[in-house]
Amino acid sequence: MTDYGHDLLFGTFVTPNARAVDLAVAADRAGLDLVTFQDHPYQPAFVDTWTLMSWVAARTSRIRISGNVLNLPLRPPAVLARAAASLDILSGGRIELGLGAGAFPDGVAAMGGPRRTPGEGIEALTEAIGIIRDLWHTDTRERVDHKGEYYQVSGAKRGPAPAHDIGIWIGAYKPKMLALTGRLGDGWLPSLSYLPDGAASLTGMNARIDEAAAESGRSPSSVRRLLNMGPQDAGVEQLAELALTYGISGFIVASDDAATAEHLAAEVAPAVRDLVKRERG
Amino acid sequence: MITEQKIALDPATFAESAVHVDGPVVLEDREGGLDPWTAAVWLAARDENVRITLPAAPAAVSEEMADKALDTLNTLAGSRVTTPGAASRFDDLPASLIKLEPGDPGYRGRSSTYMRGGRPALILRPRTPAEVADALAFARRHPELQLGLRSGGHGISGRSTNTGGLIIDVGAMNSIEMLGTGLVRVEPGATWKQVGAFLDKYDLALGSGDYGGVGVGGLATAGGIGFLSRSQGLTIDRLRAVELVLADGSQVRASDTENQDLFWAVRGAGANFGVATAFEFEAEEVTEVGWAQLALVTDDLAESLRQYGEVARAAPRDTTVFWLTGQPRQGQSVIQMYGLVDSGDPDTIIERLTPFATTGMLAQQQVVVARYTDVMAQAADVGAEGHHGRGEPISRSGFLPELTEEFARDVVQLLRSGQTFFFQLRHMGGAIADTPSDATAFAHRTPEFSVTAIGMDRQGLDAAWDLFLAKHFDGLYLSFETDQRPERLHDAFPPETLGRLRELKRRYDPAALFRDNFPIPLETS
Repeated sequence: MTDYGHDLLFGTFVTPNARAVDLAVAADRAGLDLVTFQDHPYQPAFVDTWTLMSWVAARTSRIRISGNVLNLPLRPPAVLARAAASLDILSGGRIELGLGAGAFPDGVAAMGGPRRTPGEGIEALTEAIGIIRDLWHTDTRERVDHKGEYYQVSGAKRGPAPAHDIGIWIGAYKPKMLALTGRLGDGWLPSLSYLPDGAASLTGMNARIDEAAAESGRSPSSVRRLLNMGPQDAGVEQLAELALTYGISGFIVASDDAATAEHLAAEVAPAVRDLVKRERG
Repeated sequence: MITEQKIALDPATFAESAVHVDGPVVLEDREGGLDPWTAAVWLAARDENVRITLPAAPAAVSEEMADKALDTLNTLAGSRVTTPGAASRFDDLPASLIKLEPGDPGYRGRSSTYMRGGRPALILRPRTPAEVADALAFARRHPELQLGLRSGGHGISGRSTNTGGLIIDVGAMNSIEMLGTGLVRVEPGATWKQVGAFLDKYDLALGSGDYGGVGVGGLATAGGIGFLSRSQGLTIDRLRAVELVLADGSQVRASDTENQDLFWAVRGAGANFGVATAFEFEAEEVTEVGWAQLALVTDDLAESLRQYGEVARAAPRDTTVFWLTGQPRQGQSVIQMYGLVDSGDPDTIIERLTPFATTGMLAQQQVVVARYTDVMAQAADVGAEGHHGRGEPISRSGFLPELTEEFARDVVQLLRSGQTFFFQLRHMGGAIADTPSDATAFAHRTPEFSVTAIGMDRQGLDAAWDLFLAKHFDGLYLSFETDQRPERLHDAFPPETLGRLRELKRRYDPAALFRDNFPIPLETS
């Protein structure tokens, strides 16, 4: 049994095309907590995820918005930090930062981004998280300098500061990425279909994150566990078990129709919340 | 008078000051302030009437990513947001012309083609012959820019995109008009799908290639080997007149009675001589046709291919079946045959197709009575998002005088080399051979087949093709050839044709402005 005790979040994973705005608005109206978008700019049928998120932020009022996950090699950290903080301010604190080291190197290269090995991707992500947090941190007026292997920032003015504490949620699967998530992440955001043994994989992967968190002097509960899944995996019992057995507290359902979002918000979410509340006591 | 309202990107005040804007807005960047792009998108979504000028193009890792963001906002908001990135790097652009440069909305969809990635410095989109002349004047002033011509953006040999150069894109010139009995006037930017749909209303059709998404201009200046060629001749054989803008900007008309030498040259080597702005074709009555797609499996590909050759050779002119295969798997090959019987009579259709269907083990078949336009209409429409090819296509072409047993065996060798994943035969013969070799710049009138292989590796495909197949061929179809070695020009054009083309090139394009698609050198090498 693993349960990190977070409140539960329910959301959707919407294909980033022109229809996505209507689906996000529907998810917002339905009362879901989150709407998220994958980030594959080299896919011609998709629109630019950041531009879409900014548009959606303006057209919605309550729902939180995140990339799921943003592609770091195509989103330089200094640009991303400023953009995310700006949108967080404009949206009244509704932005979270789902971030990944970047898959599909050919696609990244075709869009003019750097081609990185998995190892380089992890190092670059570590640097990027440091830069992003520094730029958000405006309690000091000290300029930000960062002379890294992948990113160089020289004398950058900090800010703007986000309206709320933006969570950095990391898409991670392999041991080194999981360790990075435990060390630096505010959240972990994998997809159920990519887990080698399905939900059963979560136990070992959670342990890896917990271990790395502990080694960095952090509490395991400082890393929220979220999970992407298909509608077929999002039944009430299934989600309650994911929450109580595997510590998942963010359920993100892939859906390109408004009915799934409405069902999730109106039927599934309250029932799962009830069940989990009862079990947690 | 409309006054622009300047709004500071101050995190504390922006949202408030942007609530009730009246008139256009200019966003002012400042260090530590809001990200201009994010703020602009947010504001455009909040206020459906606001027009916004940004201080700079969106901050991004690359121009491609900045373009993607601009295109996305254009999709969501229309053209209400402008950036100074749209200012041209050229100060001598013809005022008349629509242009697209990196960063302009819509640029991305026209920077790549069906099979090729590119990033031209400038795309000019003329709408009239006079604008084509303006575009060519610009090209003459900029000999440093590689010049590509684009109609439908399907060119394989033609560089209808490039990197850092100029593209003249005639895609906006796409009207189709009926002139008289069977005579149709078509502009180069129309696609063959559109031509098919237009002619269908008159029970007419005009053969093109095998894919309706291809543009008229590129195909109709090279040849056009398609499903109706065996009954109608090549597409260029149906051409009765063409209007061109030449390298010096002059507008000419060429036909059997005017500028005959140009008319000869355009039919097979058109890309060397000018920008075609209109074609007049004589279409023929075609009503219902039999459209067939057959999938066969064979463990003796050489024998199946040999049999296909025999069957095709015996087929009457109304029957055209193309043959396609890829990599054999576990000793088995899948053959796709697709083609057309120019008859609406089911018995005739079955009679014609049955011999083809028995050259292997028939695994799947779909045979329907359809209209020629339905065959062309299978091509997907290319929307505003355009083409998104990447890299460079690697393709070889050869004209096969006779499909022999030895050729069939060598095809198996080529496929075993693993260097091609797409190997196609287009059946020629019939009416194609009715036109004498010297009547058009397309001289190869007598091959049985046009053969094409597409691969992934330039040197690998060239080596395997040269080793196994080259000896079987006499000539090539220039539209499907991407090998740039100088010998290929001699494959495309036999000596007499090339000699005449060279003479005409010296006369009509002495500065070699048109040099991107099988350029004809002015001097003999």
